[in-house]
Amino acid sequence: MMTIVLTALQYLGYILIFPGFLFCFVIGMLLCGIDRKIVARMQKRVGPPVLQPFYDFFKLCGKETIIPAAASKTTFLAAPLVGLAALVVLQLFIPIHGFSAFSGMADIIVILYLLLIPAMAAMLGGAASGSPYAGIGLSREMVTIIACELPLVMVLLAVGKVVGGDAVTFSFSKIANYQLANGSLITHASLIPAAIAMLLIIPGETGNHPFDTAEAETEICEGLLAEYSGAPLAVYKLTHCVKVLTLTSFFAALFLGGIGTGIVVVDALILVAICIVLTIVSISFVHAITARLKIEQVFKFYWTTVTGLALISLVLAWYGL
Amino acid sequence: MFKKLIEESTAKSPWLFHINAGSCNGCDIELVSVLTPRYDAERLGFKLTGTPRHADIVVVTGPVTKQSLPRVLRAISQVPEPRCIVTMGSCPQSGNVFRGSYSVAGPLSKYVPVDVDVAGCAPKPEAVIDGLVLATQILKEKRAKK
Ligand code: SF4
Repeated sequence: MMTIVLTALQYLGYILIFPGFLFCFVIGMLLCGIDRKIVARMQKRVGPPVLQPFYDFFKLCGKETIIPAAASKTTFLAAPLVGLAALVVLQLFIPIHGFSAFSGMADIIVILYLLLIPAMAAMLGGAASGSPYAGIGLSREMVTIIACELPLVMVLLAVGKVVGGDAVTFSFSKIANYQLANGSLITHASLIPAAIAMLLIIPGETGNHPFDTAEAETEICEGLLAEYSGAPLAVYKLTHCVKVLTLTSFFAALFLGGIGTGIVVVDALILVAICIVLTIVSISFVHAITARLKIEQVFKFYWTTVTGLALISLVLAWYGL
Repeated sequence: MFKKLIEESTAKSPWLFHINAGSCNGCDIELVSVLTPRYDAERLGFKLTGTPRHADIVVVTGPVTKQSLPRVLRAISQVPEPRCIVTMGSCPQSGNVFRGSYSVAGPLSKYVPVDVDVAGCAPKPEAVIDGLVLATQILKEKRAKK
């Protein structure tokens, strides 16, 4: 009886504190704050304080929530929560060095599905708001997801092939163990193009500049979020921040595994450091040096350049290089 | 404690929504210049949003023409509470050079309570930032009163 209660408490701790909700909340916001600061510095501005996303979040919590008359209320309010929950669950499955809150319960296929849910939820919520701007945002978000998904799957296939040898593996624990034994996968020559492709997928998946066509604020009034205000909007902003954390730690688990000490706290700090570097490289730098693309350019970019990089990796991995 | 946190955050993260009510475009350009590297209002948390639903501060420029009046009022009423209304330039306050024209319905304060007036034609970016910071304080007070 006692052990059951203890195990339940342990899992509750995993879900609510580390590596679940609280960890995602704090570190995700921090990553976004650092991103905004770095972009500002690159444009020779002072930039907002690093804690700015926290201020934004709490301010939005204190604002009035307006539900448009044309909206379907339940979907409109539930959609942001569903998206956030899916991301927090996703974070639980990503291994930190050797530690994983729910190991062996999910592999990369589940991660792929969970990664889709926030975008789907945002689209549902936007559609439920009844705004024409959200309608345009919806179709663009859909195209962006389709554009990102193909190269992402090919990257995962390449990684699976290298780790699994003859049989392609989708197991996260196998990937983690392989890297513990043989060093990070990024040192593997055939996976370097895949790693670059993955770095380019991160801003697309999170909807950051220059791939933020779905939320283009100067053009279609924030698209999917056009009708949101107050607390639901705060949840959307939080979801975006958590997504940055999830994708960068996903990258770290795929390509930079095997770096760590075995002590969970130290490993978590190392992971945070890696995530900060990845955010700066893949999101901030790209943001500061580009202007927003058109949706067809986004699609073309992902299905030619990025898919090409992933394909090179896949072919190299298949011939065992 | 939570209440205090929200109040503090309200003053530190004001998002702007800009309405052009028939302005000559001088003020519009000056407002954008406030966000450029030289003045960088983002260091105070200011951000231009694309929709009134996300905004805290509404910045109105131009003399409020008859054509734009219903749209201005509708956009302002879509901004969630607590909100602040800032007029920028002399136009929305007095009509400025457009005063007496058959097409001008202003001043804006006839229709909605205005919180801050930033005078000038067009106001200097320093004056605009000053007015906006004043508006964040008013926002904080409004939030505290709720
Ligand atoms: S105040 Fe002057 S610059 Fe501004 S809109 Fe009016 S006329 Fe143009």
